[in-house]
Amino acid sequence: MIPTPQSNSARLITPTMLVLWLVLATVPLWIGRAGLYPYLGIEILIWSLYALAFNLVLGTAGLPSFGHGAYFGIGAYAFGLCQFNVVANLWVCLAAAFAVAGLAGALVALFISHRRGIYYAFMTIAFGQIFWTLAIKSHKVTGGEDGLLKIARLPADFGFASFDLAGNVAFYYFVLMVFGIAVIALWRLVHSPYGRVIAAIKQSEIRAAHLGYNVWLYKASIFALSAAVSGFAGGLFAMAQLAAFPDVMSLHQSGYVVMMTLVGGGLVSFWGPVIGVFLFLIARDVIGAMTNAWMLYFGLLFIAVVLFRPEGVAGAVMAAWQNRSLNSMRKQGGTALRLLVGGGRWR
Amino acid sequence: MFDLLPHILNGLTLGLLFALIALGFMLIVGLMEQINLAHGSLFALGAYFAMQLMGPRPPFPADLAQSWLALPLGWRYAATLILAPAAVGVVGIAIEFCMRRTYGKDPLYGLLLTFGAAMVIEEMIRLTWGTRDYVLQVPQAVNGGFIFGDLIWSTYRFYAAGIAVAVIGLVWLLIEKTSFGATVKAGAHDSEIVRALGINLTRLRLLVFVFGTMLAAIAGIIVAPIWGIRPHMGVDAVIPAFLVIVLGGVGSFWGAVVAGLLVGLAVGLSGAYASEWSLLSMYVLLVAVVTFRARGLWGKKSVLEA
Repeated sequence: MIPTPQSNSARLITPTMLVLWLVLATVPLWIGRAGLYPYLGIEILIWSLYALAFNLVLGTAGLPSFGHGAYFGIGAYAFGLCQFNVVANLWVCLAAAFAVAGLAGALVALFISHRRGIYYAFMTIAFGQIFWTLAIKSHKVTGGEDGLLKIARLPADFGFASFDLAGNVAFYYFVLMVFGIAVIALWRLVHSPYGRVIAAIKQSEIRAAHLGYNVWLYKASIFALSAAVSGFAGGLFAMAQLAAFPDVMSLHQSGYVVMMTLVGGGLVSFWGPVIGVFLFLIARDVIGAMTNAWMLYFGLLFIAVVLFRPEGVAGAVMAAWQNRSLNSMRKQGGTALRLLVGGGRWR
Repeated sequence: MFDLLPHILNGLTLGLLFALIALGFMLIVGLMEQINLAHGSLFALGAYFAMQLMGPRPPFPADLAQSWLALPLGWRYAATLILAPAAVGVVGIAIEFCMRRTYGKDPLYGLLLTFGAAMVIEEMIRLTWGTRDYVLQVPQAVNGGFIFGDLIWSTYRFYAAGIAVAVIGLVWLLIEKTSFGATVKAGAHDSEIVRALGINLTRLRLLVFVFGTMLAAIAGIIVAPIWGIRPHMGVDAVIPAFLVIVLGGVGSFWGAVVAGLLVGLAVGLSGAYASEWSLLSMYVLLVAVVTFRARGLWGKKSVLEA
């Protein structure tokens, strides 16, 4: 389970969230002076949302999904296509991104939810590749490899007031607001009775089934839900990029979200994926400015994390914070990893 | 029917190549229950090493390079088929030394570790050789084409398929008919007993892993003249390899070979009718099979599922 104090898991808004939001709210004020640019902030928020959604499957449910980029991409395309063909309204288009990616996830879940371990992992890769190929080859719908261009940042209409999101700072605050709401929703979801059953299934599918829970339905629904939220993040990403490209659906990019989540410590902490996204994207920009081979160094870092700190950054920080021995944390990280593929076994 | 024959033949040769690509991957999955995601990068590395050896500037000291270049192309090719996999084997040793820490833990550790290794190797390839495409020279004897039944056939495809059959046969003999194979299989089945019998399991695992990486390199050298040599070829190889194993079923030798042939046929036949979509066919095939057969065609129970 997620080792936060009991009182926090019952809260709607935790102190960590407040601090995070306050810090994030000041980002546009200083990010330019730090040698970075406001767009990076937008990217980090969107990828954080995506990684949190992905971690519902990987960390909370313990299901190895390696083709999650597909749903992120589907959301981006759905946002663009809805804008062009249905109605150019921000809320409708974001809802479309959520719904279409969720439907795609539900369809895939039908095929994979009775599988485990390596077969589950590879089925997710296969479906990811199918969606990616469809996106590249359907020139008329998606624009093929050129991508779906000229997607606009639609104004946010709250009824009483309407905000123009074309500027990066305005859009950043919009994404921050959406991110805040989504974090609360995901936090509640993970700590709801439903979330607890999911966590129980991660520990032992057989035990959960014997307690009378419909394991298949839980596994299918969490996958579809994760896909839907990933698609929602994809819709925001289409707005940020002003376009939707198929490369976010490729196996490489699906691998990146796995790496971010694990390096950050998504297996032991709710916030792990967010930490991972920060590290990954900032490393990309900072190391990437110095050398072309930033993936080389990030790959080496990733190897080191897997070998020496499988619980990730969040795990290491929590261990220091709670003054526990690193050894016990390592065991915890190990358990989480073991459960991931060892899905439903008692050992 | 006769119109289809070239496509079927084409698909079968392609299928043999897929089986060859999957062979080293299968060996490591079947005998060590470890997923080596660096397989594709090692495959690419084999092709790049071979290209460097066969090219105008071999990686030797000046005088040795001179006498090397003086050798006939065929001799150099034959030597490359041994030297390049050996060099890749050294990389394999390095990976195995890291991977050792993960034995006895969840196989996901090994998978993630080799995913990182794959990233590092691919990036190193980009740094060393750039992103351009290279061509691997092959001897005249296997180059070119011939005419049969009013159609032009590529000699190299048949040569490659023949090598694939030979390597698959040799690997089968090694793991099924020698005491080495028996020990290795026993080690995968019950490592404690095998250790108690006084067998050095650490060395045995190293050997299996290095053998698997060398098979990846051989596949890379054989496939390179058909696919071309570029940094992305590793990913292009590891996905079909993984797919062939899952389709055939983890732990089944002939399952992988049959799955390779099926994938080749699917890609070849769909390529005849809708070449745009031919790559999609293998995924559809996998989904169709695994939806109904939980462990692929002939998979055995393993640590990798459960």
